[in-house]
Amino acid sequence: MIETLQIIRNRLSQRPDELKKARESGVKVLGWSGYNIPEEIIYALGIIPIRIAIGGDEKLVEVGARYISTRNCVYVRELLGLIDEGKDPYIKNIDVYAFDATCLQTFRTAELVEFYFKKDVFVLGVPRNFYWDEAKEYFINEAKDFTAKLEEKTGLTLDAGKLEDAIRLYNKTRETLIRIYAYQASRNNVITWDEVYEIIQAGYFLDRKEYLSLLEQTLDELITLQENSAVTEDENEVRLFISGSIIPPGDRKLINIIKKLGGRIVGDDLWSGIIPYLDLNIEEPTIAGVALGYLNRTPHGALPYLDLQSDRRLKKMFELIDEFNAQGVIYHTLRYCDPYTFKAKETKDVLAKRKIPFLEIHTEYAGSDIEAIRTRIEAFLEMIQNTTTLQYEKVSL
Amino acid sequence: MSNIIVTAGVDVGSLGTKTVIFADGKIIGSSIIPTGLDSTENGLKGLEIALQSVGLERQDLKFIVATGYGRILAPYANKTITEITCHARGAYFIHPQTRTIIDMGGQDCKAIRLDEDGNVTDFAMNDKCAAGTGRFLEVMDNVFKVKLEELGPLALQATKVLSVSSTCTVFAESETVSLLARGEKPENIIIGIHYAIANRINGMFARVGIESDLFFSGGVAKNLGMRKALEDVLNVKIVEPEQDPQLVGAIGAAVIAYDLYQRSEKNNDRDSSNHQKSA
Repeated sequence: MIETLQIIRNRLSQRPDELKKARESGVKVLGWSGYNIPEEIIYALGIIPIRIAIGGDEKLVEVGARYISTRNCVYVRELLGLIDEGKDPYIKNIDVYAFDATCLQTFRTAELVEFYFKKDVFVLGVPRNFYWDEAKEYFINEAKDFTAKLEEKTGLTLDAGKLEDAIRLYNKTRETLIRIYAYQASRNNVITWDEVYEIIQAGYFLDRKEYLSLLEQTLDELITLQENSAVTEDENEVRLFISGSIIPPGDRKLINIIKKLGGRIVGDDLWSGIIPYLDLNIEEPTIAGVALGYLNRTPHGALPYLDLQSDRRLKKMFELIDEFNAQGVIYHTLRYCDPYTFKAKETKDVLAKRKIPFLEIHTEYAGSDIEAIRTRIEAFLEMIQNTTTLQYEKVSL
Repeated sequence: MSNIIVTAGVDVGSLGTKTVIFADGKIIGSSIIPTGLDSTENGLKGLEIALQSVGLERQDLKFIVATGYGRILAPYANKTITEITCHARGAYFIHPQTRTIIDMGGQDCKAIRLDEDGNVTDFAMNDKCAAGTGRFLEVMDNVFKVKLEELGPLALQATKVLSVSSTCTVFAESETVSLLARGEKPENIIIGIHYAIANRINGMFARVGIESDLFFSGGVAKNLGMRKALEDVLNVKIVEPEQDPQLVGAIGAAVIAYDLYQRSEKNNDRDSSNHQKSA
């Protein structure tokens, strides 16, 4: 394991106390969930942004189910359970919440947080079709309205210079993260996808300036390690791409099964993974510029496939599969996560045209399906090995 | 037997442990025993019975492949392989024209697609629910107070197919009890249950598609009522099995064991020849 990852873990363990102290000195902390919340604006206002994302805890899911129907995904149910329980060190330190309406279940969660827990909640409207001019205008106005409401609530004012600085910081962060991400997919990798995933998610919580510095330190370490690396590549490895519903911190079920069975994840387009950081070009340092930058990214899965030929998500998926030389796609869907579940068949058909193997794993946080998932993934790995490599050549008796 | 390559496939399923002994391209022995609590013990016992049936001993085996849900506890095996790959290999070995397999076992059901070389190209498994599996029929035999193997023949005696709308095992059980209370003939309800399972499997095939020839494997494949319902619902003819369909996974495991042993021998020969050259 790289040394900087340990430093990141240590810093994460100290972060809740730092937030507490910051709040005591009058700084506000905003907890957000979604895909299109423009963090640059929050940061530029002098508010500490924390991305709330946690999963994998069945007990919290049950607690959350007191507030929201079980026909909503476990991720949003757990989020409500987390807020109800109030023990999470980050949740304890949140002054205001922000959600975007990208996924309608998240939007519903926002309403429930406000209604049941009497929290200050800001909701950012998101268009259902990102391609129309009207959609751009709508989202710019939503971003402006979101900013104005935050200013009103906190008494802070957005400063143009600070926004420019924030955009610069976030651009540099994204650029560094993308460079780090490429290392995990290399043949003689010195860092795994799983470790990079952990680093990405550490960025939800750490101070953004310090996070960039830790990313730069990680990158330096990787450059040195890779140059001196004598890692032998495994010819039998199966390189996998992960897509579909969110896999937040705490939800280790699928990742652990894949790892245990010897599959190697080399890429993802998860909204808890690398995809939010890709293709985000902010052309002018204004609220409108930030909004347009977010709108021009790869859209979230909650938005429907309008045209399979031109859909940016599918295009991006192919691009990433090619870039990271993945041999198959594991498509993770959470029960009642309709946006991704309904797209599974279409995605499978599109991939099949290029003969890319596809496996949907439909699950939730309960452990009862671990063995069934294990069999599916093991069979998927065998299927790829049998058709792409001569696995039988290496057998020890 | 010293010059003959003998291998074994052990399929430790949720209800039955199946073992096949394979020698130079032929199935020479087999056993089917109920699965008990100890997976390792089940596998070893199955092996012992199958070996005894052909007068062989453990040391005669060159390679053992374990499969089925109990494969994770098979220290006696040289390699473990999933039942999906093993059923594909077994069905392809028995009937090389197989392009689609329905494997219906004790606790799950699988739809498997193969290419012309017998490689798995796609598969789907039932989710958590027991509906569409052997367990579903087991629950039903209890309702009708008959043996599991009697359900199929009873289904074939039906004069009409009653609709059993739910394929949830628990709900279907209460629905069945209601139909009996209404005075419906048991055989008409039983065929309805088989069609309910077939409809559920049809849904699973929507994910992988069907291509002939269709092979039906697993313990439930012995049930003729299930065969009929599947042929009607899927609108396709199922291949007549030349082997006990319950043994297909173990056959596949034994065939793979045979291939693996041969390939490893080739590798060893190649390595020793390279070694001699370099010396």
